[in-house]
Amino acid sequence: MENSNLKFLVVDDFSTMRRIVRNLLKELGYQDADEAEDGQVALQKLRAGKYDFVVCDINMPNMNGFELLVAMRAEESLKKTPVLVVSAEAKKEDIVKAAQSGANGYIVKPFTKATLEEKLGKILSKLEQQGA
Amino acid sequence: MSSISAEEELEDLFDSIADAKQRELHDTPAGAPSASAHAAGAAQPSISPTDLYTRIGNLARQLHDALSAIGADKVLTRVAKEVPDARDRLSYIARVTEQAADRVLAAVEVAQATHAQLTASTDALAPRWERFFARDMSLQDFRQLACDTRMHFAESQGKSGVIGAQLHEIMMAQDFQDLTGQVIQKLTVLVGDFESQLLRFLIEALPPEKQAEYSEELSGPSVNGKGADVVSDQAQVDDLLESLGF
Repeated sequence: MENSNLKFLVVDDFSTMRRIVRNLLKELGYQDADEAEDGQVALQKLRAGKYDFVVCDINMPNMNGFELLVAMRAEESLKKTPVLVVSAEAKKEDIVKAAQSGANGYIVKPFTKATLEEKLGKILSKLEQQGA
Repeated sequence: MSSISAEEELEDLFDSIADAKQRELHDTPAGAPSASAHAAGAAQPSISPTDLYTRIGNLARQLHDALSAIGADKVLTRVAKEVPDARDRLSYIARVTEQAADRVLAAVEVAQATHAQLTASTDALAPRWERFFARDMSLQDFRQLACDTRMHFAESQGKSGVIGAQLHEIMMAQDFQDLTGQVIQKLTVLVGDFESQLLRFLIEALPPEKQAEYSEELSGPSVNGKGADVVSDQAQVDDLLESLGF
């Protein structure tokens, strides 16, 4: 399965959540995942290396998830990189703001492996349809 | 059921906005971020008679004493009594951490029981194989040993699957740290703000010459624990509260 070669960047200020997401990705067959503790570090890593998929929190210090999304979408090399938001914020305005900022999917914490699998699958199949 | 349909509604809303945005990103060059509004508001308490001032002074004294002497965890309990929202947040932390502990313990109990069954089965087979290699076994017994071993392998597959699932459950239960950590961070900010607002309120009632002295000293919350600054701030806060009779 070619998708299993995707390189992920997991962005969250809590190391526990980064480890959980990385372990879940591994269980789903995605072995290649890197971490960043906030939007600023994530942006530096994204600019420096090739990542296929970003899984990102919203509430983070220095640069939050919304700001990271806006910064990514304003850069030609990053504007099409899929971003799945995983956040404790379940407010409608946050979900709408994430979509407007360029998120491809949104998961509310706490979540399950099945939810992550479903959202990843949905985003990847949409990207395939768009021919990205 | 209604919450599921509300969830689905939100998901549909997300998808419709996200799809439009993704089409826009695919069709247009980078560099045109969407407009987004962010509104924030802070409630200002209305202050009237002098007994209110006295009560707030006492509150500031209690809060400051707690912050400087007792430690952050007890301060949170104190604030929770004064601020309903903080109490809700603390209840949330208690509930989520309890649920996580229950999940972990339940998973460990299942895994331990399954592991014990596997160990018992292995322990029962091992000496019989020793007997076989010592040529101390009849053909009849060997046939039985082969059947039992085959069954052990079949059961082991299922049981190791059960243990794997419990390990997954233990990992997922750790998500409480992120959820409660965010709430604790918000509470810590709230406590610091609460204290500094109360103290500022008290300073405003001081004679002008003292006002300037304390305003400079109390320009920020003293909860970050940075060495000499904190001691100096705390001494100033004590002086202030004492001079006001609290």
